[in-house]
Amino acid sequence: MSNYQHPYKEANFVIGHLLHFDQFCEAHSWDEINTDFTAVVLAEAEKFAVNYLLELNRQGDLQAASLQGDKVCETPGFARAYQQFIAQGWPSLSATEAYGGQGLPNLLSVACNEIWQSANLAFSLCPLLGQGAITAIAEHGSETLKQQFLAKLISGEWTGTMNLTEAGAGSDLAAIKTRAEYIDGEYKISGQKIFITWGDHQMTDNIIHLVLARLPDAPVGVKGISLFVVPKFLLDAQGNPAAENDLRCLSLEHKMGIHGSPTCVMSYGDKGGAIGYLVGEKHHGLGYMFSMMNHARQGVAVQGLGISERAYQAALEYAGNRVQGRDKAGNSMRIIEFADVRRMLMMMKSGTEAMRALCYYAGFKTDQKAAATERQKSALQAQISFLTPIVKGWCTELTQELVSLAMQVYGGAGYIEETGVAQHVRDARILTIYEGTTGIQALDLTHRKTLSDKALQARQIFKEIQQTIDDLAVLDQRCYLSRALADALGDAQEAVSWLLENPDQGGSVAANYLQLWGYLMGGWLMAKSHLAARQQLQLDAGDSDYLNAKLVTCKFYTQHFLVRTQACLASIRAGSDTIMALSEQQFFSHVN
Amino acid sequence: MSILVIAEHDNDTLKSATLNTVTAALQIGGDVAVLVAGSDCQSVAEQAAKISGISKVLIADNPAYEKFLAENMMPLIVELSAGKTHLLAAATTSGKNIMPGVAALLDVAQISEIISVESADTFQRPIYAGNAIATVQSLDAIKVLTVRTTGFDETAVAGSAEIEVLATVCDSGKSRFVSEEVVASERPELTSAKVIISGGRGMGNGENFSLLEAVADKLGAAVGASRAAVDAGFVSNDMQVGQTGKIVAPELYIAVGISGAIQHLAGMKDSKVIVAINKDEDAPIFSIADYGLVADLFEVVPQLAEQL
Amino acid sequence: MKVLVTVKRVIDYNVKVRVKADNSGVDLNNVKMAMNPFCEIAVEEAIRLKEAGVATEVVAVSLGPKACQEQLRTALALGADRAIHVETEQELESLNVAKLLAKIVEIEQPAIVILGKQSIDTDNNQTGQMLAALTGMPQGTFASKIVINNDKALVTREVDGGLQTIELNMPIIATTDLRLNEPRYASLPNIMKAKRKPLAVKTVEELGVTLKEHSKIVSVNAPAERQAGIKVADVTELVDKLKNEAKVI
Repeated sequence: MSNYQHPYKEANFVIGHLLHFDQFCEAHSWDEINTDFTAVVLAEAEKFAVNYLLELNRQGDLQAASLQGDKVCETPGFARAYQQFIAQGWPSLSATEAYGGQGLPNLLSVACNEIWQSANLAFSLCPLLGQGAITAIAEHGSETLKQQFLAKLISGEWTGTMNLTEAGAGSDLAAIKTRAEYIDGEYKISGQKIFITWGDHQMTDNIIHLVLARLPDAPVGVKGISLFVVPKFLLDAQGNPAAENDLRCLSLEHKMGIHGSPTCVMSYGDKGGAIGYLVGEKHHGLGYMFSMMNHARQGVAVQGLGISERAYQAALEYAGNRVQGRDKAGNSMRIIEFADVRRMLMMMKSGTEAMRALCYYAGFKTDQKAAATERQKSALQAQISFLTPIVKGWCTELTQELVSLAMQVYGGAGYIEETGVAQHVRDARILTIYEGTTGIQALDLTHRKTLSDKALQARQIFKEIQQTIDDLAVLDQRCYLSRALADALGDAQEAVSWLLENPDQGGSVAANYLQLWGYLMGGWLMAKSHLAARQQLQLDAGDSDYLNAKLVTCKFYTQHFLVRTQACLASIRAGSDTIMALSEQQFFSHVN
Repeated sequence: MSILVIAEHDNDTLKSATLNTVTAALQIGGDVAVLVAGSDCQSVAEQAAKISGISKVLIADNPAYEKFLAENMMPLIVELSAGKTHLLAAATTSGKNIMPGVAALLDVAQISEIISVESADTFQRPIYAGNAIATVQSLDAIKVLTVRTTGFDETAVAGSAEIEVLATVCDSGKSRFVSEEVVASERPELTSAKVIISGGRGMGNGENFSLLEAVADKLGAAVGASRAAVDAGFVSNDMQVGQTGKIVAPELYIAVGISGAIQHLAGMKDSKVIVAINKDEDAPIFSIADYGLVADLFEVVPQLAEQL
Repeated sequence: MKVLVTVKRVIDYNVKVRVKADNSGVDLNNVKMAMNPFCEIAVEEAIRLKEAGVATEVVAVSLGPKACQEQLRTALALGADRAIHVETEQELESLNVAKLLAKIVEIEQPAIVILGKQSIDTDNNQTGQMLAALTGMPQGTFASKIVINNDKALVTREVDGGLQTIELNMPIIATTDLRLNEPRYASLPNIMKAKRKPLAVKTVEELGVTLKEHSKIVSVNAPAERQAGIKVADVTELVDKLKNEAKVI
């Protein structure tokens, strides 16, 4: 089993010097929160992850949750880890203070999630879904719902789930068939939901399901969907779990990865209807879900970051120990001494650093928005909305490449399950699929985020990138980074113009358009990291070994990842030309 | 130079750690006396008198010293330190308990767990769990030292020193012995065993440690464990060998199913001969093992027990 | 009843130690630091005494550079009530530490002082004993169990070959061994609260202690590296080598 150490120097650098968290805290007079504080919290988060989650990661992979009767029994050991997780108060981290939360910044939540997910993605999905349920009820629920459910979700005493998908309604939620009926003053829910993460388990004495369903009088399509709280156990007068609600787990999916996370088919209303409580107003459910979508999607990007970091550390350890071949003098060599292995490790190191910069940058926008004036809020919301598909789509796709490289470093041993790296490859594979596939993210970026505002938001970001290019040039006239970033910016500007001129080909170019933006944003934040690291070095502050390595990874990223914007642009320019050229029959031309 | 060595014993038998400590004292040079403080410990004094190279044995025989309580031992040793240049004790739990306080009362430093004598005032000692060796020079008039027994051979026992009886009695009344629980084991304890066989996470569970016990029975060995095995709940943590567990240096250390994390290596790498049995040929433990056997421990450990 | 507990900032036990090229010491530049594991056990024991209603206040103390406050904050987050930091940039030998602590003991008058039995950097295993000698308090070193009954304490000690239980007159000094307890983790709400708990900074001068140099480090070297030996094919060959080549069995 591979070890894991939290990359604390990197996290502290991004939070402190790339995002200038201390200045932000000072500006908003948060006297008790600063980078010292976040460092302490992250160190504790690492301790929990290393001592409780690491060992269970393999355990969860080998011994998936199982369905026994109607009950889902989670992987042995998970319950103990979960008890410790809530004893330390982790679920309360960013939740509202009014119901027992700590009200800490989203940035810190993102950084902690990275740690849990590096250590044990399957486990960490359970509290992550809880975070979604908390947000839904806190933002849209009635006072009664908050009183009944929020405090216990925030303490982690109960967990939460999100029930959206149905067999006939995956990417298209308008097709939802689950019914809700108002009978005798109560909403009764019936229908079947699939892909419900942590839909059942025995770790807590209640589970709070958030379920999308359609009322009989609902308008057709996405506008007619309502959101309900459906607890596994109904509450008695004291607010404690009592009578069983009419719902159960029908079966568990046999998945390629994240075996420790039970993925349930949930059945509601087998005996006449599960009692549910309406969240907010009727027919607005999908809107409420979408209000959490940015957060959830960015969350999946952080999962990619977590697994990539873990896989990198595993590959690094292996490369440093594995002896193969001899040098000219006849001395045996460790594979880390070979250039191509170095290249793979650099891809992983720099790619992961760029992802972390982007995930934290985007996550921090939520804190900036929360602290902003009303007028700034809408501008920040627009930025968050623009960034989300890039963060989700690009990070999770890059994750596939990086975990695959990790396996490559292991060679044949990596393909053998015992070494553990195969689990990372399998676990990571879901990330480009759930919470909106890469295709959905790409369409969101081309259509809703670029074409709909005529690239207004895109151009705002171009301005910021141009500023960084200028800053780099001031520092050094012939700065490699400055020129490379300017080239990539040029590619992006051209891609945007092309898209605006050819909106009808948006679907064909979307994937490449999203990737181009991803590499550009990664390159921009690496360039800003370069500036921050140089500043630190000039001040003779910080860890010079770390900072000098940072300068190299920034440059490597530019040489090996940022240049990919050229290829993306070339493919974008090809438009639908060949993509849509074949008839459906012609796809079979080689066999028929 | 005038050196006093505090004998390690159980009021009945002189412990061999004393002989290693006397060797260190003799390397420093000068007059070496041995203090036997205990209760009904005349026979120990007689055994000590036979240690080669020492000038005399001091015996302080009184119930106050029976259990070597620090509060009673410290003033006795401080009193005897007059005119002495060095005070030595073995770095056993007893020596470690008593000597630092003696040093403090004399307003001098203690140099802990020396592994070599460079000169009368300069010594080597391991720091960072043996990951570095410090050469330390004492600037004090009296050097208080504890001696890591594995760093020095045992002195021969072929002498006949005189025995001097002391009348001093120090009983502070602040502490009192209540009871002791000697681990009733056929096997030697980890820190003094000549042979140790340890298991790691690869053992799979606690029951499988019986495989190691079978080998230990044949070799008269102690059984240890890595932190990973302790953390996994296979065995209790008093068996842990490593930086935060016990530091050992036996003649033979057999590591079974132990990958060789730094913190484990720190606890055993001074062993004279190291054997590693692991099915992962890349396990770091092999890089420090004298003899490595790449094999499934469940197959070969029973074979080993059989062939010994 | 007040408990004083000491906390030392040391290199994290997972970090591989590197000896400096000039052999002046170990390279601690930019390496991860943490609370000494034996001090974690000491803090845990102090908090348990408070939770059990035996102690009323837990005071954590650390000596060293400003960064030690990180470990004090951790102690506060774990449940200590307040902290004292004796700030000094000087390398402190154990005896000097004991003298400074004796001064703190004089000011605070704790009923029990709990220290880690040793720190994993210098591995001296002496500060607690020295403090006991300087203050005249009886000592229960290498403790695996501490029970306090009014004016007496029963301390079970890990000694070579087993366990020894002694009774000490309060106030006492105790040093922790591994089996004393399993330290808890700081909870998030307690980390938050810790920021508001008092942390007093004192200087060596304020305490009126004259630091003396008792020893000096001549050099620090990496231990002789062990060379990898040979691989044997089977158990028969192994037994043969151990008998006839290494001659250890």
